[in-house]
Amino acid sequence: MVRKIGLGFSVLVTLSFGYGIYEALSYAYLAKIFPLYVSLVLCIIAIANLIQEIRASYRRTEKTAASAADLETEWGDIAMSEVLRKFSVFILVIIILYCAIWFIGYPVSITLFIIILYRYVAGTKWRWAVVAGLAGLGFLALVSKLLYMDWPQGFIMLPWPLG
Amino acid sequence: MDVFFQSLSVVLQPGHLLMLVCGVVMGLSIGILPGLGGIVGMTILLPVIYGMEPHTAFALLIGMVAVIPTSDTFPSVMMGIPGSSASQATIMDGYPLAKKGEAARALGAAFTASLIGGLFGALVLTLIIPIARPIVLAFGSPELFMLALLGMSMVGVLSGTKPIKGILAAGIGVMIGALGDAPAVPEYRYTFGIDYLMDGIPLVVVGLGLFAFPEIVDLMIKGRSISDVATLGKGWLDGVKDTLKHWTIVLRCSFIGVIVGFLPGLGGSVVDWIAYGHIIQTSKDRENFGKGDIRGVIAPESANNAKEGGGLIPTFLFGIPGSGSMAVFLGGLLILGIQPGPAMITENIDLVYTAIWSLALANVFGAILSIALSKPITRLTVIPFSYLAPFMVLIITFACYQATRSWGDLVALLVMGILGWVMKQYGWPRPAALIGYVLAGNLETYLFISVQRYGFGWLARPGVLILAAIITGSLAMGVFYQARKVSKASAAESGKRA
Repeated sequence: MVRKIGLGFSVLVTLSFGYGIYEALSYAYLAKIFPLYVSLVLCIIAIANLIQEIRASYRRTEKTAASAADLETEWGDIAMSEVLRKFSVFILVIIILYCAIWFIGYPVSITLFIIILYRYVAGTKWRWAVVAGLAGLGFLALVSKLLYMDWPQGFIMLPWPLG
Repeated sequence: MDVFFQSLSVVLQPGHLLMLVCGVVMGLSIGILPGLGGIVGMTILLPVIYGMEPHTAFALLIGMVAVIPTSDTFPSVMMGIPGSSASQATIMDGYPLAKKGEAARALGAAFTASLIGGLFGALVLTLIIPIARPIVLAFGSPELFMLALLGMSMVGVLSGTKPIKGILAAGIGVMIGALGDAPAVPEYRYTFGIDYLMDGIPLVVVGLGLFAFPEIVDLMIKGRSISDVATLGKGWLDGVKDTLKHWTIVLRCSFIGVIVGFLPGLGGSVVDWIAYGHIIQTSKDRENFGKGDIRGVIAPESANNAKEGGGLIPTFLFGIPGSGSMAVFLGGLLILGIQPGPAMITENIDLVYTAIWSLALANVFGAILSIALSKPITRLTVIPFSYLAPFMVLIITFACYQATRSWGDLVALLVMGILGWVMKQYGWPRPAALIGYVLAGNLETYLFISVQRYGFGWLARPGVLILAAIITGSLAMGVFYQARKVSKASAAESGKRA
């Protein structure tokens, strides 16, 4: 599973460089020179990498396999399937957050996000979760006022600092 | 020399000092969060510096990046997980010392070594400016193009476990950098009809997506606190004395730090290991290394702070970032309207000296604050990560939205975040991608100017030929060492089977 995803990513990278060549051909001369040659060289290297990965996965030499995990990430006792499941859940939560931002705006959405994560992931009491959420909202309001920063408006317009 | 001291007076102005302290405090906060190093910290600050006066912005940026290698020692010593890539080797002896109840001694030694290393880096940067001046001014667009290519090829070859993936990762960065309007003609590239992509993806989004997002995800998946030791023990002064006693180690490793910082591609992820390896190789009594030898803390900590001074040399003088955080710093310079490269010495020398003074002062403030705040910081590190993560999501999404203030920023953050996470899991070096992204514009512009100015004759310039030989050599060496490593691993594998 893990190797298949690694291999899949390498295929995706190769295809992207291939698309880079195809798309660059349609540009004006001065606009295409750089991306065309960069994509061409990289596509050749990506194909070489892909061949190397396929051969390595056949050999099944764990350490030399190109799809071996990055040294930065050590999961210890956590199974890779569990890692992927949790990763998918996290991405889903972020997408839900974005949908909420689109609907009710950034401040309320991020406040609710903090409250829900504190209550259900960190396992704090509702009271502390609300305090954390309000702290987040306070931080946003302060920073946006001091540094003239803006946040995404929602479909439903709320008064400052809620929208 | 006058400019040098005039810059000091600028740095000592209250407003500048306040910004420097703000940067230092932010750097200390980011350093204690595992995985979040200078790249993330710098990227979060980019939206803040828009419209700022360059001297003030420098104080903020350099204040922050200078002290991350100081504060990242907390998680390394207290729990044995690196605060950033530059403090991995500190774990080897720092964590065993903490387990023995000597965390204060380890931290005392680390902060003193960091301070001296940081000051050494600033000193080297000061000395190199007048020496480098004539060499830098001899560089034209063709040489700068080749230099950018050299930086990228070295990053690709050296920053990951496999050179081929490193080069491809740098290529991914270049292609992301090539999105949007072409510099030479009015043409939009790879926009897929999306208006947001017409100006390309902003640096803030790429930096936070590739680096901050994957770290937050990983820490959420692991679901634990930064540290599980809340006591420091005793021995602060012993740690300081240890560092002063081993002053030759500090100087040697600081020198290594500067050299590694100067070379594009090496940077944070290896500087501590090189220093640690050096100290083991040159010590006669090696039996205590890995079990809590204080020299194993002093060596990497002096090197990782010194590397920031070294990293600023190619960033300022050639516009070639030595590491991922320097790549973001380079982007920050462009936001401020400063073009890094040879012109820095002729037109903006005061800014270079401001950076040097800021670097030196930030190291002093960082060390003092780390020691003074060590007890509350140690208590902070036992907070479970699930308490910090929602606020980190708030900071990165809010910072990201400031890039162009459009929905595209948030969507691009998610896409870049997923890309960064996959790259992290499957051994594609993300610093290479970031440097490729930052250099893409320079590469294309320098190539365009070279061809316009010299035709294909630019390829025959002596500087270009020398740099081409160095690029070929570095690529060949990278591939050679990788092949040797693979054949050794295969031999070991077949030996096991037999």
